[in-house]
Amino acid sequence: MIRTALRTALGALVALAVTLPARAQEATTSIVVASTTSTQDSGLFEYLLPIFTQKTGIAVKVIAQGTGQALDTGRRGDADVVFVHAKAAEEKFLAEGFSKARKPVMYNDFVLVGPKSDPAGIAGGKDIATALGAIRTKQAAFVSRGDKSGTHMAELALWKTAGIDLAAARGDWYREIGQGMGAALNTASAMNAYVLADRGTWLSFKNRGDLVIAVEGDKRLFNQYGVMVVNPEKFPHVKAAAAEAFVGWITGAEGQKAISGYKIGGEQLFFPNADQPGA
Amino acid sequence: MTMRAPTSILPLRAEGLVYEIDGRRLIDGVDLTLTAGETTVLIGPNGAGKSMLLRLLHGLLPPSAGAIRWQLSEGRRAGVKAHAMVFQKPVMLRRSALANLTHALAAAGVGWSARRDRARAALELFHLAGLADRPAKVLSGGEQQRLAIARAWALDAEVLFLDEPTSQLDPAATRLIEETISLVSGEGRTVVMATHDLGQARRLADRILFIHAGRIHEDATAADFFDRPRTEAARAFVAGDLVV
Repeated sequence: MIRTALRTALGALVALAVTLPARAQEATTSIVVASTTSTQDSGLFEYLLPIFTQKTGIAVKVIAQGTGQALDTGRRGDADVVFVHAKAAEEKFLAEGFSKARKPVMYNDFVLVGPKSDPAGIAGGKDIATALGAIRTKQAAFVSRGDKSGTHMAELALWKTAGIDLAAARGDWYREIGQGMGAALNTASAMNAYVLADRGTWLSFKNRGDLVIAVEGDKRLFNQYGVMVVNPEKFPHVKAAAAEAFVGWITGAEGQKAISGYKIGGEQLFFPNADQPGA
Repeated sequence: MTMRAPTSILPLRAEGLVYEIDGRRLIDGVDLTLTAGETTVLIGPNGAGKSMLLRLLHGLLPPSAGAIRWQLSEGRRAGVKAHAMVFQKPVMLRRSALANLTHALAAAGVGWSARRDRARAALELFHLAGLADRPAKVLSGGEQQRLAIARAWALDAEVLFLDEPTSQLDPAATRLIEETISLVSGEGRTVVMATHDLGQARRLADRILFIHAGRIHEDATAADFFDRPRTEAARAFVAGDLVV
């Protein structure tokens, strides 16, 4: 009810912006969304944004960066919207006053992928901490992206969750390659190693060889996305109305439904949860 | 609609490229944009300028006129060149296969333990692990070519220029190289390759640039080019006639 009212109000705002000839730059409105490479690589934006643009006439330009860089782009006022997946960092962004509100949008998840032969004996497990513990104990080969990406950061946090001090535990079994997700999956496939991957890249990865999903479904493998409008009081050039329209759409019924509808190989990649309090 | 910044060196834009030597125009006004993720294959008769164009794009030759603009200056990411070239006859250092990789990584500023990890991962990925300690110069042509591609991979090159990489190889070795190229492009890397092998172009290309007498005569998707070549020269070339 409130959501509907809000959307109507936002719609009116946008309509106003579009019909005001004095604000020429708003007449052919386009907004800049700072987001992450993983979101971009998943193909979600290519699917989602044309639907939004057709509905509202607002064009969206995405700058795909690392999470930290995307937030910094917002901090410089070089984006109208920030759409990332690092809740703690997003809350810091809010606390610093760079945005007035953060809304949850959706989550996706990581999967632990490994060889069919399963040298660590973890296949089918639901507990990522136990699985990583077994990999370390058995010294089963593990490929790390080692490129300071969001996925690399998530991997490091998971080792910590598992109570493993990587600095002390790492040996020949732990291979850091300093490369992207596709390269890490290829390397794991060639080395019969385990690797942490985002489900989107895994689903679209063709050269799987003997790799299969070993562990999935642990809550700690979930990756929550949030969206924030950059504070127009800090940066008057922020296109607040159009940015709010984007946030309203993507967290509203229509946007949420569109997110569920995005599939690769018949599998849903992102799970909308704008309604989930505290997400 | 979307752009990837500032982590990608692409797109690459070449504008009005000319390369002249002794008053002869070997590259005669080339305009070209390369975007991320595509495999572009340069085909055309011998002497058309395929190899020359690759060298200009990679920065090995300065153009006589025109400009080459990468999204990030000189195609460097964090100061390190993020495009690599693999030659018809691969350039190998007088060292072991492994040292050919670690040396390149050291030159790119990668730390000691990281370069060992990466070099060994590359050798395994490109089926060269058993040859790690062999002097690179005694490897077979196909193995050297795979090592050259492995070196580009280890350096995390975003763009790979390949100049007739299989022209001196037998069919079995050629097939391995083609699999290697597919693997690398499957990781989202951008491949730009010159070949005179039409079958190879059909197998690998997303996009074809047909080059003749220093100019791009056709720039089309692979499907369009092979089904409906637009120019007489391209039709003749695809049909296997001599193009001079």
